[in-house]
Amino acid sequence: MGMTAVEIILARKSGKKEVRPGDVVYPDPDFMMIHDGVVMGAKRELDALGIDRLAAPDKVVMVTDHDVIYGSARAAERGAFNREAARLWGVKNFFDVGRGGHGHIFPMESGMLLPGMFYFDNDRHATNAGAIGAFGFRMGTEISRVLATGTNWVMVPQSVRLKITGKLRPGVHARDLGFHIATLIAQGALETDLDYRVLEYAGDLDQFSLAARAALCSSPTEMRAYGVFFPPSQEILDHAAARAKQPYTPVYPDADAHYEADLKLDVSALEPQIALPGGVQNAVDLAQVSGKRIDHAFIGSCGSGMYEDLLAAAAVLEGKRIAPHVRLFVAPGTEESVKRMAREGLMQVFVEAGAVLLPAGCGPCNDAVIGPVHSGEVSISTAANNNHGRFGAKDAELYLGSPATVAASAVAGKITDPRTVSGNW
Amino acid sequence: MSTEFQWLLKGRCYKLGHDVPHAGGVVPGWIIAGRYFNARDIIPHLFEDTDPGFHERCKPGDIIVAGRNFGMGPKMNGYIAMQALGLGLVCESMPFLAYRAALGCGVRVMTDCVNATDICDTGDELEIDFRNGFFINHTRDIRREYPPVPDALQEIIALGGNAGWLRQWHEDHGKPAAA
Repeated sequence: MGMTAVEIILARKSGKKEVRPGDVVYPDPDFMMIHDGVVMGAKRELDALGIDRLAAPDKVVMVTDHDVIYGSARAAERGAFNREAARLWGVKNFFDVGRGGHGHIFPMESGMLLPGMFYFDNDRHATNAGAIGAFGFRMGTEISRVLATGTNWVMVPQSVRLKITGKLRPGVHARDLGFHIATLIAQGALETDLDYRVLEYAGDLDQFSLAARAALCSSPTEMRAYGVFFPPSQEILDHAAARAKQPYTPVYPDADAHYEADLKLDVSALEPQIALPGGVQNAVDLAQVSGKRIDHAFIGSCGSGMYEDLLAAAAVLEGKRIAPHVRLFVAPGTEESVKRMAREGLMQVFVEAGAVLLPAGCGPCNDAVIGPVHSGEVSISTAANNNHGRFGAKDAELYLGSPATVAASAVAGKITDPRTVSGNW
Repeated sequence: MSTEFQWLLKGRCYKLGHDVPHAGGVVPGWIIAGRYFNARDIIPHLFEDTDPGFHERCKPGDIIVAGRNFGMGPKMNGYIAMQALGLGLVCESMPFLAYRAALGCGVRVMTDCVNATDICDTGDELEIDFRNGFFINHTRDIRREYPPVPDALQEIIALGGNAGWLRQWHEDHGKPAAA
């Protein structure tokens, strides 16, 4: 019997001919990532044990993306601690403030993360790696063991296959599809439990760009998937080949691989979706909540922070102003996207529209360190999730939509179908 | 090392239902929000919301038997207290991150123990062998076999969890060679 894509990656990185779900393996990662919010905890934990040397400092990637512009003295202190930690540990791949951007976007964009790779990450949104055909494995606080020893135990997860048929209609975004998939799973219409599973996409996937694939990694993660995987298309292979600075081997699942569940979904009739407050799995057709007045809007996050997402929003915003009672925050995924926005005129579109540009990174989606909502306010965003209190007051109403939907809603001041406004959406 | 560790626990059963959350179930939410990770701070509040005084009644070797979906989320606080109190944990199912957190705190834990809550009740005398997967209810004369702690992961529990494992690793491998 063959192996799924992630089983092949884990076998290869663990020096094994084959692995099966439930096996415990110790993969040798291509790199290991730790973000600014957890460096202090890991450093103090290792220091207390007398561990002051890392197993492979050259493989460690430190990223400042969760609290980029220090809205508090505590954040500034943490930033200083992190820089000293990088120096003491000898970590050269330190993408500090203004140097890289979102840790789950810039490595794919820049060619650091390539098809077939495996890496450890403290953060659960490492699942984004599946967009480029790689596997990122969340360690949480156990990232300290990875830093100290170079690896950690991984129990090979079960894989679930979802075959996509049909094409999304114009104006319907991959993020809409992600909300829809989460909702079908929550309702039992797609029969699976994603807890610690890998969701492997199959079927009509050529329609999905790298940004669309990242968007489709997001919602399954909120449904507790531990990995998401797209077999790389020619477009993805070309992207990787143009940027790679080291050898890599793309991975595709074996034809006779075993999946815990084998699901199918026709996406050709899908409408733009809105995830109602409380979770990505609360999606309804946008028409059901069209006209709901909003106060706050945000475009960005690991699921919708790539240049193409910004482009989709800018196409709606071009030549328009956001409603007077709305504040719109835009957090580009990467510093490269910020430069490109300036070069290609998107910056002008956002600023002229009245949006506030945030530094590349997580934006409000990280614990409301920036641009939060107040009690009773209504927000629409592309955040990773809209669990109550995700970015501010617990009784604020947090809706989710695609970048185009958020932009159209910010202009109208109420939840609005992007297909009803002018623009090249 | 593994042979010296107490893999077999004999004690009283504390039965819980399905879907017990970590926050507001295993420990009060403020323990998690306040980032309390010291066992002494957490112990008085273990199962406080559902079973006040639990920490005074339980004894080392006692077994918590929980239903499906125990301890949602990757939270560690309650497991730190369970490990310090010498309690064992048997669940019908746990989200993987809850399992990993319990194991990482050094709790003797078995999951995927199908219908375990059907064969015991609070107060029953249980005997659980976590290394071999035996579940014996002496009160009801029932014996079951469940998936044990995987071989590869026993060392983490035996060393008291991730911190203990790392300390041992550092003793064995991590220290720089003497000049």
